[in-house]
Amino acid sequence: MGRYVARRLLLTIPVLLGASFLIFGMVYALPGDPIRALAGDRPVSPAVVEVLRERFHLNDPLWVQYWEYLKGLFQGDLGTDFRGRPVLDTIERTLPVTVKLALVAIVFEAVIGLVAGVLAGIRRNSFFDNLVLVSTTLIVSIPILVLAFVAQLLFGLKLGWFPIAGTREGLYSYLLPGLVLASGSLAYVARLTRTSVAENLRADYVRTARAKGLPNRTVIVRHTLRNSLIPVVTFIGADIGTLLGGAIVTETVFNLPGIGREVFDSVRAQEGAVVVGIVTLMVFFFIFFNLVVDVLYAVLDPRIRYD
Amino acid sequence: MTRPDLSTSPVPGAAFGTPVLEVDDLHVEFRTRSGVVNAVNGISYSLAEGETLAVLGESGSGKSVSAQAIMGILDSPPAVITGGGIYFQGEDLLKQSPEEQRKVRGPGISMIFQDALSSLNPVYSVGYQIGEMFRAHRGMSKRDAKKHAIELMDRVRIPAAASRVDDYPHQFSGGMRQRVMIAMAIALDPRVLIADEPTTALDVTVQAQVMDLLKDLQRDTGMGLVLITHDLGVVNEVADNVAVMYAGRIVERGTVDDVFGNPAHPYTDGLMSSVPQVEAKGGRLQPIVGQPPNLAAIPSGCPFHPRCSRRRLGAAAAPGRECATDVPPLRLVAPGREAACHYSEEVLGV
Repeated sequence: MGRYVARRLLLTIPVLLGASFLIFGMVYALPGDPIRALAGDRPVSPAVVEVLRERFHLNDPLWVQYWEYLKGLFQGDLGTDFRGRPVLDTIERTLPVTVKLALVAIVFEAVIGLVAGVLAGIRRNSFFDNLVLVSTTLIVSIPILVLAFVAQLLFGLKLGWFPIAGTREGLYSYLLPGLVLASGSLAYVARLTRTSVAENLRADYVRTARAKGLPNRTVIVRHTLRNSLIPVVTFIGADIGTLLGGAIVTETVFNLPGIGREVFDSVRAQEGAVVVGIVTLMVFFFIFFNLVVDVLYAVLDPRIRYD
Repeated sequence: MTRPDLSTSPVPGAAFGTPVLEVDDLHVEFRTRSGVVNAVNGISYSLAEGETLAVLGESGSGKSVSAQAIMGILDSPPAVITGGGIYFQGEDLLKQSPEEQRKVRGPGISMIFQDALSSLNPVYSVGYQIGEMFRAHRGMSKRDAKKHAIELMDRVRIPAAASRVDDYPHQFSGGMRQRVMIAMAIALDPRVLIADEPTTALDVTVQAQVMDLLKDLQRDTGMGLVLITHDLGVVNEVADNVAVMYAGRIVERGTVDDVFGNPAHPYTDGLMSSVPQVEAKGGRLQPIVGQPPNLAAIPSGCPFHPRCSRRRLGAAAAPGRECATDVPPLRLVAPGREAACHYSEEVLGV
């Protein structure tokens, strides 16, 4: 197991390098001049522009720019944006917001998704089961952008139950965006759990558990749910990585100063260093949580062994 | 030819003591969207302590369904027990509450299944799964349950039980897994053990070992054994009495020696002819023609008549004994023998 984890961690290095290079190339390929965009409507002398272009290596070919970036990276320097602020500071400022948002979303996803899925799976074809099926279909078929605006309008503006935007009210401000962010995964978790529970209830070993005269509670909890939740737990684990990277729309709509909104703003301003730094971080989260899930899988299911 | 009055003759199984399990006119049907499937259509048998009763039949003859009905583990819906009684030590299980029924499973009646790999939970160690019997029924602590699990694994002759108690089902061979199932089933000293094709999934050499183990355990504990199988060889070796099932009914019943020596039902006769015999080396096997009946549309009259070489239809039949219209009841045809055929006497060659 230890060797397996070490090998997987080593493999993340080329993946991260490749991802960062791709993102670097995409930012490079964006049309327009970031220095002129930075200046806006103010007149700026060509000499100043030229000095800035030189400082940020904007006149060099792509591979030279990437090499300069990597040189900094290996010295622990993620570079600076065009205003001279270190990218590392930007990440330190914005990451906690996104982590809080993702945690709130995961809690919603796990609690609501699991409970709904388990109940629907145990009482298949009941009213509740059909309710879960219809509502989850509805949720997954609405794009998150629409869902975010509708939730903001309905619960934030009309009903006034939640703050409309920003993080001024602490954890409370994260509830509505967290729910919106979780919605798609929540529906998926409910569906996955329902199918898994319904399938396991028909398993031979559940029949054995009944033949052993175990109380119904034991049959359901120990011999059905424990087995059913293996795929669900692994999905939720992998989803942490996705949510940390997928909060761009939610953070922008609800104006949460997290890494998602930062990436959105930076792409528009062609802040290459910021985009590359944050997106590479997102890729790292994704890979890392997938590794955690693979290890977790071996813990939950004794049939899975690495090495 | 008049039928001999056999109503005072001893009934099958009478050689053993008082019955511990009695099944009386059991009916089970499956209510599916595409119609009703009549899986079990009025079967009756009794089992005494120490007796081995083989229930013999093809796939779909209702033998496993009747066993699951006795255990109270039918998937319901779609399965519904529509009639009859299941008496364990004189008490009708079907009249008991689910909780009372549950308490019989394990200490009273227990069951082992065909495929031990899928019948054991893959995420718990075998020791845990055996120990669950003691924890659920006797309220034993985890540690004591494990100690008992090791003893049981020793008893079913699993080598190095103490070191293997924490292993998982997938780490055992097929024969060892079936031993784990048996250990679990006999944990609480049941009076009846139902073995549903316990050796079908195993190699021939391992089959013999598992059957020997079951026989030894039965001798030690005096439990009754219901052996569900389609393997005539296994029946011949270990069973005392045999009930042959066809289309959810028992078509013949008697001691193994009687039934195998001289079948009273054309279906049993056909089964015997379809088995390779060492003495008849080189001869061709005679299969039973046709297919087993669809249980959603069981043929009228005798369910076996479309495949029967001895059927008598129309004018050839005796009054009230037309094979395609009159259902033959299970009746005494010779001392200690019952068969459900209008013309058993001819089949017997009496």
